[in-house]
Amino acid sequence: MLERLAKYRSQYIMIAPAVILLLLFSYIPMAGIQVAFKNFHIGYTIWNAPWTGLENFSFLKDDQFWVVVKNTIIIAVLKFVFGFPAPIILALLINEVRHSGFKRFVQSVSYLPHFFSWIVVAYILQSLLTLDGGLVNQFVTKTGGDPIFFLGSTEWFRPMIVASGLWKEVGWNTILYLAAITTIDPQLYEAAKVEGAGRMAQIRHITLPGIMPTISIVLILSMPSLIAVGMDQIYPLMNPANQPVADVLDTYILRSGLQQGYFGMATAVGLLSSVISLILVLVTNQTARKINGEGLW
Amino acid sequence: MKRSAGDKTSQIVIIVLLLLLCFTVIYPFLYMLAISLNEGRDAAKGGVYLWPRSFTLYNFRIVLGNEIIQHSYWITIGRTLLGTVTGLLVTLLAAFGLSYRALPMRGTILGYVLLTMLFSGGLIPFYIQLHDLNLLNSFWVYIVPSAFSAWNMFVMMKFIGGIPEALIESAEMDGAHPFRVLWSIILPLSKPMLAALGLFTGVMHWNDWFAGAFFVSNQNLIPVQTFLQQLLSAQDISAVLGGNNNVEALARGSSLANVTLMSIKMATVMVSAIPILCVYPFLQRYFVKGVLIGSVKG
Repeated sequence: MLERLAKYRSQYIMIAPAVILLLLFSYIPMAGIQVAFKNFHIGYTIWNAPWTGLENFSFLKDDQFWVVVKNTIIIAVLKFVFGFPAPIILALLINEVRHSGFKRFVQSVSYLPHFFSWIVVAYILQSLLTLDGGLVNQFVTKTGGDPIFFLGSTEWFRPMIVASGLWKEVGWNTILYLAAITTIDPQLYEAAKVEGAGRMAQIRHITLPGIMPTISIVLILSMPSLIAVGMDQIYPLMNPANQPVADVLDTYILRSGLQQGYFGMATAVGLLSSVISLILVLVTNQTARKINGEGLW
Repeated sequence: MKRSAGDKTSQIVIIVLLLLLCFTVIYPFLYMLAISLNEGRDAAKGGVYLWPRSFTLYNFRIVLGNEIIQHSYWITIGRTLLGTVTGLLVTLLAAFGLSYRALPMRGTILGYVLLTMLFSGGLIPFYIQLHDLNLLNSFWVYIVPSAFSAWNMFVMMKFIGGIPEALIESAEMDGAHPFRVLWSIILPLSKPMLAALGLFTGVMHWNDWFAGAFFVSNQNLIPVQTFLQQLLSAQDISAVLGGNNNVEALARGSSLANVTLMSIKMATVMVSAIPILCVYPFLQRYFVKGVLIGSVKG
């Protein structure tokens, strides 16, 4: 046995940095979950902090926490309802374009926002929507309306998140669908034309069924991250005025843990959200196994 | 082939819709550029939509002349270069090592990697660990924790799996060491894949503001994106640019009065966005390739 291990010495040396990094930044933090059941302050280690049982889970009785849960679910559902079908529709539209130069142009332009940070997106929103001199409010006042405080409004927050999320990712998310469309046998379309099928009929009976496997894979892969509603996106746009609807699990953890120092309680909330994600992954994988005959791993 | 009138109309409708989409993508950048190239006070009156009305490079002079911004730029460039190279190296080494099917404990190690993709300790335990490792308030917090990517490793393994084994075996027959095989066979053949994954890693580093905002409190260590995040909610210019000598000198020299917080913000965000806008047209095809390599189920 030792001889076999020695034979692969170089390979183990290659793998070692990755194994050590995962130990340090994934596995030790997993062991750190015990902080959820401890009274932890900076100065203790995760091991020697005193146990407190379920005291840290008292947030479950906090109304604010349930507001946060509700916000998270609403944003997750809205982002999914708009964000999932949009790239499919866009891919179908792009595929209908006959002029190949224009097609490539649209693809290039629509992928672009994916490469900018959510901070840049927040600046765009600010420049367009701000109260004093924002582009949209310039038009609102010109047409005789009162300027709207979009950035600090509880009604406009969710539409803003959904729209800016679409703006940033819809183009990028068409890539897989467009690649899937190119693998569809062109003869199918020829045959359909001979039968007299119109464009809509071709989309419904050839293109959509052709990309259905891709749609289901993307659907499955998007499930586990469903409740990770995009702290990167939400945090820069959150302010005291819109916090009642903007506060989600991740921002709640960030605030109570890193900003207010309730490490134990924030870890407990994080544990809850990790467990929900894990359940989503496992359920999704089981479903995939049933549908496709094999799971994701 | 005949094309019906309905067919033509639908083509036009589709083209108009897609042009509208392109417009909504491009316009915000043009608008921000116009504001950043316009005198602040003048822009605040409204009416600047596409083209600066009262052209000035003054906003850019303030932004580019500001030491904090210059410094944050170097941090971003440094972490992007170092982070991308380290990230590719560590991940490629692991992917190649694990691509030996006969490796003892290979399955166990793969499971060890996979588990980290399914479950995590969460933000707070991660933060405590950074604290215990003395990585908080250190430049290395940008590089070390993200040096290995499980996702990228599986993409690389898939790619390496597609390289004919005969090539590797014949090199080994000639007595080549695995490191030698990696260097002279795998590396040259993996260039397109490394380019794509390197670009993704680079963009991730360039755009990350989170680590700078929460794991670093020393203002000398924050990257541009974190600086932008702080500037986003700033109420007046001095809150960010502070008692900076350059700004004061500029203020004395000319009319700082013409600068508004918005014009400075727009110039700063353009300075961070322009590099990406410049390289994007050339690198775009690599990105698309990268997605497609990763998408095939491994």
